[in-house]
Amino acid sequence: MNASPVLELSQVSVRRAENDEVVLEDINWCVGTGEWWVLAGGHGSGKSLLLQSLAGLIPLAAGILTVFGKPFTAEGRRASGWRPQIGLVFEAGGRLLRELSVADNIALPLGYHRNCSPTQALQEILPLLQALELERLAEAPAGRIGRAWAQRAALARALALGPELLMLDNPLAGMDRYHVRWWRQFLPQLVAGHPVLGGRPLTLVVTTDDLRPWIAPGPQFAVVQNRHLKILGDQAQLEAHPVVDLGDWLQPG
Amino acid sequence: MPIPTERFQRLTESLGLRVLLFLDTTRRLGAFTLITLGVVVTKAGTARQVIGPLIRAQVIGAGVRLLPIVGFIGIALGLVIIGQTLRLLSQVGQTQLIGSLFVTVLFRELAPLTAALVVLARVGTPTVVELGTSRALGDVEALEALGIDPIHYLVVPRVLGITLAVFSLSVYLLLFAVGSGWLFSFVANLAITGEDYVGQIASALRWQDFPLLALKTLSFGAVGALVACYQGLSRPLRLEEVPDAATRTVAHSVIAFLFLDAAFLVVNLLLPA
Repeated sequence: MNASPVLELSQVSVRRAENDEVVLEDINWCVGTGEWWVLAGGHGSGKSLLLQSLAGLIPLAAGILTVFGKPFTAEGRRASGWRPQIGLVFEAGGRLLRELSVADNIALPLGYHRNCSPTQALQEILPLLQALELERLAEAPAGRIGRAWAQRAALARALALGPELLMLDNPLAGMDRYHVRWWRQFLPQLVAGHPVLGGRPLTLVVTTDDLRPWIAPGPQFAVVQNRHLKILGDQAQLEAHPVVDLGDWLQPG
Repeated sequence: MPIPTERFQRLTESLGLRVLLFLDTTRRLGAFTLITLGVVVTKAGTARQVIGPLIRAQVIGAGVRLLPIVGFIGIALGLVIIGQTLRLLSQVGQTQLIGSLFVTVLFRELAPLTAALVVLARVGTPTVVELGTSRALGDVEALEALGIDPIHYLVVPRVLGITLAVFSLSVYLLLFAVGSGWLFSFVANLAITGEDYVGQIASALRWQDFPLLALKTLSFGAVGALVACYQGLSRPLRLEEVPDAATRTVAHSVIAFLFLDAAFLVVNLLLPA
């Protein structure tokens, strides 16, 4: 485990950009290639900020972050060249560009990074649209589709460039059973190597405020508690853990 | 009557704060301009298939769609400034001055300013609203997460499109003004032939007027677009803040136009007649 880490955090602290308040500190964590991590935490605990910091959108407050073997400090300016290797899906609809159609949203990173024509980019995303059952919504304006479908379209957009690391911020929040079931079936396929990514295994980091749908063999678990990231381990280690510590993320809302 | 000390202090404080605010806004706008310029230069060949259509959309929105109103204004200016003046000049036998009048008033001053103000009125507020909403809904972070430079995707097409639109509309406005001025002289049967009319305008123009017109219109367009983009993106806007931001866009742009106009006036005065 942890051979050729995708992410390595050493004494990392994360802060809110608006007021410089440190919300997470002293994080030491390593994410190896092909691993699947589920991070649980309450609202405002800083898990979304952690994902955004790992994606390079928010500067670190302290510590050293190593991304694909390249170290970045809190003070150092991170080059954005590795961003296409990291996919980030925001919560609550994935922040699609509302003025574009679903298909144009998904094709946007391809068109931008590979400078291909809109027709060519749309051709390339067809397998993604099919795999994520988005064909019938392809022409719909992104601002007019339901949140669950928007979240799925945002996943397709993040996968369009074939990232090596995918980070999903609370993807199941507010979803009905149909969509939750779909995500729970699709994500393990992605980690194992889905045909839309050429069968290449994917490293996955997911945040959640409810651990229950994620408890299954496969993911590693960690919780954000008292401004610290507490590594728990796999399903067996999670279940062996005192429930009282995890009650907030295991109780029905 | 002596001014009370307290009142004088309040006055100087208020004045000082306004000056500091103005300097701070100028500094921020300057930084935003430099960042945008840097992106324009460094990403000139990047993602043309994506950015190109966005620029075209801006040229259509800020330029082509405004052609009828700019044409109408051009015709009106031609009738009022050239036509009426030509009528007066013909009464005193000085129609040879029409060329100088056209160049000084319309070519150098009114056409660039009018085109810039029309474009600002039409696209300034929508730009602030679009970008303010984008910022508030997290589009900037979403683009960054995709490795797309938000300045390149959101600002550069607007700045280039609006700049080109102001330049083109100024040229059209001048053409409409020249045409309607000549039409007026023809209909009013004034003592000037079409050949003389065009010849006097041509002889009043110096070669430097053409690059200066291009520079002036391009800088007016760029400044208006940059101010609107800055006001939209500088912070997430709430709905009730949009009117204020739109007003600031117009006010800051008009102030910038005045400074630019003064600079071009000085250049014109320094050039040989």
